[in-house]
Amino acid sequence: MVGTSKRLPAIQRLVEIKTVAEQLHFKISTLLLHGGKVGEAVTWFRQHNGSYRRLVGTPEAVFLHWEWMSRQFLVFGELLDKSSAAITNISSLALGTADKPLSEWESRPAYYYQLAAHYLKEKRACLELALSMSETGNEMDNGAESVVPSAYVGQFARLLEQGDEFAMQSLTDEEYIRFAVVEGKRFQDSYEIIALLKKSYESYSNLKVQRMGSFCGFQIGKEYYMAGEFNNAKQLFDDIASLYRREGWVTLLWEVLGYLRECARKYGTVKELIEYSLEMAALPVSSGTDTQMKYRENGPAGPASLARREEIHKDVFGLVIGESGLSSVERNDDLKITLDNPLHLEIDLVSPLRLVLLASVAFHEQKIKPSAPTLITLSLLSQLPLTVEIDQLEVQFNQSNCNFIIMNAQRPPLAATADDKQGHRVESSSSLTLSTNKWLRLTYDVKSDQSGKLECTSVIAKMGPHFTICCRAESPASMEDLPLFKFEDRVETSPTKDPALAFTGQKAIQIEEPDPQVDLNLGASGPALVGERFIVPVTVSSVGHAVYSGELKINLVDVRGGSLFSPRETEAYSLDSHHVELVGISVPEGKDETQLDTDEINKIQKSFGLFSVPFLKCGESWSCKLEIKWHRPKPVMLYVSLGYSPYSFESTAQKVNVHKSLQIEGKTAIVISHRFMLPFRQDPLLLSRIKAVADSDLPASLPRNETCILLVSAKNSAEVPLKLLGMTLQEDNEDTGRPCSVRHEGEDLLEPALLVPGEEFKKIFTVISEDDSSKLTIGTACVTWTRDSGSKAASVLTKQTLPDVNVESPPLVVSLDCPPYAILGDPFTYLVKIRNQTQLLQEVKFSLADAQSFVLSGSHNDTVFVLPKSEHILSYKLVPLASGVQQMPRFTVTAVRYSAGFQPSIAAYTIFIFPSKPHFKGAAVGTGG
Amino acid sequence: MIVCVAVVGHQNNPLYIQSFTEADDALKLHHIVHCSLDVIDERVNNPKKSGPTLNETFLGLLYPTENYKVYGYLTNTKVKFIVVTTDLDVRDADVRNFFRKFHVAYVDAVSNPFHVPGKKITSRTFAERVSTIVKSFGLSSAG
Repeated sequence: MVGTSKRLPAIQRLVEIKTVAEQLHFKISTLLLHGGKVGEAVTWFRQHNGSYRRLVGTPEAVFLHWEWMSRQFLVFGELLDKSSAAITNISSLALGTADKPLSEWESRPAYYYQLAAHYLKEKRACLELALSMSETGNEMDNGAESVVPSAYVGQFARLLEQGDEFAMQSLTDEEYIRFAVVEGKRFQDSYEIIALLKKSYESYSNLKVQRMGSFCGFQIGKEYYMAGEFNNAKQLFDDIASLYRREGWVTLLWEVLGYLRECARKYGTVKELIEYSLEMAALPVSSGTDTQMKYRENGPAGPASLARREEIHKDVFGLVIGESGLSSVERNDDLKITLDNPLHLEIDLVSPLRLVLLASVAFHEQKIKPSAPTLITLSLLSQLPLTVEIDQLEVQFNQSNCNFIIMNAQRPPLAATADDKQGHRVESSSSLTLSTNKWLRLTYDVKSDQSGKLECTSVIAKMGPHFTICCRAESPASMEDLPLFKFEDRVETSPTKDPALAFTGQKAIQIEEPDPQVDLNLGASGPALVGERFIVPVTVSSVGHAVYSGELKINLVDVRGGSLFSPRETEAYSLDSHHVELVGISVPEGKDETQLDTDEINKIQKSFGLFSVPFLKCGESWSCKLEIKWHRPKPVMLYVSLGYSPYSFESTAQKVNVHKSLQIEGKTAIVISHRFMLPFRQDPLLLSRIKAVADSDLPASLPRNETCILLVSAKNSAEVPLKLLGMTLQEDNEDTGRPCSVRHEGEDLLEPALLVPGEEFKKIFTVISEDDSSKLTIGTACVTWTRDSGSKAASVLTKQTLPDVNVESPPLVVSLDCPPYAILGDPFTYLVKIRNQTQLLQEVKFSLADAQSFVLSGSHNDTVFVLPKSEHILSYKLVPLASGVQQMPRFTVTAVRYSAGFQPSIAAYTIFIFPSKPHFKGAAVGTGG
Repeated sequence: MIVCVAVVGHQNNPLYIQSFTEADDALKLHHIVHCSLDVIDERVNNPKKSGPTLNETFLGLLYPTENYKVYGYLTNTKVKFIVVTTDLDVRDADVRNFFRKFHVAYVDAVSNPFHVPGKKITSRTFAERVSTIVKSFGLSSAG
């Protein structure tokens, strides 16, 4: 492609060649990209770039080459930018060839913009050089004005005006260079570079490629800095610095901070200048491996070295202490820290200045009594390269009366301390010198009268008359590593001498309440019984403190955890969903105003109560009674706590709390049970019993129109004797009328029956079902009882609903009839009566087994038919052969229609045989069954 | 010629960075190494793109700058090695070989019981070994 034309001098010929190549390249690239062949276009560009980048040309025209290069990248970047809008997914395209793969970056416009900016920078540097060389020949500038592009692409010629005619005159290389330099001067390369880099920066930020973006940002910042736009530069540098801080790139951070520092200096902001300077001075640059780093383009930071850090350190402290003022460039006034312009730096937990000063505060104990002294260790660490002398340290707590000041004994006291820090404790320390990476440990004692949390909030170091650093206190236990230094291979020391304290030390301490001097007594005895209002006397007696605005909090808590309320049973027992509830609090005599409170408690919560205690003087006592009712047998913890203030009625006054707890068992006092009994030796056939034998849960069945006996018994299951006051059977619903008659056998108790633990009280009721209904509601058994304790305790009513019973008419009734006793050798009659109560003929099979002790006459086996509504009687004669309790012959009846067999119980067969006829004296006994 | 080698830790913090140039452009090299972390991040997060290099420690050419080529390597413990060369025509095999040797040196260095994992590598022996490997890389590619 390099042509053989000999018409043009060397420089101009190169320019022409490149211009032509550029045109061709532009067209090819446009076509390729238009066809969506990004990969090919990139490969083509690479080839184009490779062919021409070496063609630098003569030294005086180098800037032309760089300008051309920059343009190539810019143009290709823009072409790519436009086409990539159409091609969404570049990365999916197969890029490059196997031996020379293309990286994905090469298909991104940002990459080209960045390089365009880079070459433009080269151009600027070369142009400046060319300008400085051509400065001597300034007078020749006038000749350049008439140079114009000639008819051919890439050629320039001098336009000569000769009257009306124009003539083109070819240029010499010297003339052309002069023309190019003059042209070049007209452009402001800086802004061009910034624009290119900005495009790249934005593109990278959109792609979330932050490191490359930061690099572009850094370059933009540098351009701004050089252009004197410090505000823009500072913003960019601040962003970048945070990334480098986070990732620990110290050398890069150093460079950025150098720029920031200069920006602050030029801008005249003292605070920032000092912050950046301190951070630089504290950076871990000396220990890097690349220590021999030399910079070609040294930024304002200077070389990253220990010596430079020390220099910066001295500068800063010179300024801070007021020995020297740094002159600002932008403004004429010197940067100085004076009384009118004091400087206060804040260092919090995320500040980069933690490197400069780190304050770790640890209390030696976790809990103390009020007014008891405890030790606090204050440890300060600095990474500044030189030692720092602190004039005064102020330690601040959340309870400001604990604040104290540590003076440096070697320094004269500062005048400013006297006025504003009045009343604070002043300690003095022989030395407050911070050396590099060495903890300064100071231990003092602290005491506080106020209970609660005592926390060290901050440590303020004063250096020089008007400079303070406020450093947030950190607990050694939860202290984070120093940023940047955590990657350094350095000796790590713990902030406190005691390693245990360094692991567990906290900057906060709990100050306990003062010891209560009031006794709280819960005087409950023994277990509570279900149903009664159990009384727990509470006594508050003062033994040292007066009780102001005392408050009694009562809490009932299930022993097994959880509440006393079980949601599962809510529906069934909606009225008393709490198994144990606080019923009331009563004050013995004449303090009625408190009764209002108790009503409120019942409404609010059943397991919680709040009660105010009247004012008590020292030595007085007061008592009240808690009434607690158990609905279920359940152990319960009763927590009672008294909160009071020992000195005054003020609500803000400090409260002292006394806690007491008591576990109370709730027990069932009376267990009610019942059973039904039918008349002796008379057994009705109840059809419901034969059907379901397995299911024992079936309600009891009673024969209709028969007299049954209901036996209700109440057993004392408590551990104390009880007095039973009465037992009744109540109807549940009186309006419907009772389908049966229940009669009491005997009257109500005339005087209470004493039940010792385990004893049972029984009462007999007669039940006759009269109605045709199949269900019979017996009612509720009610037992009234009280504790057998001399006092007049209120009686308690224990109720238990008796289950309903079924009533049915039996088709057959079998009854045995025999005398109550027999005499040896004396025959007696044994009758089996089978009564048919139906309208049907009943076929009944019966059998009688022989018995050892009896001789028997009558049929053993047979089938009989019992007529409707009549009775069949089987009659046997028995002669007893042995005396004593004997079993009569066993008798079995089978009703064929119901396929139901019947065998009377053993008790029904048993009879007592006297050896001879007994002679009973006095009243006749035992004539009944 | 290799102009810069770097070991970068988990938090993308430099553990070891050394440049081997006579020219004073160390800062620029630091920037290049730092920027190449973006490429590694992308490669690691989107392994689909790199296709056959899945599960491979050698990440290949990361990105070309105007004068340099940057290669990357990711160890099993997610420590990154980055090499910047000025040779524009480098065989992958050479770079792989270099990284293998470098990895061995790194493993030896961090196996030192006095080395705290995650901290910068300050071992002088390691530095010497690295410079030997760097020099031998130049020779092997020339020969």
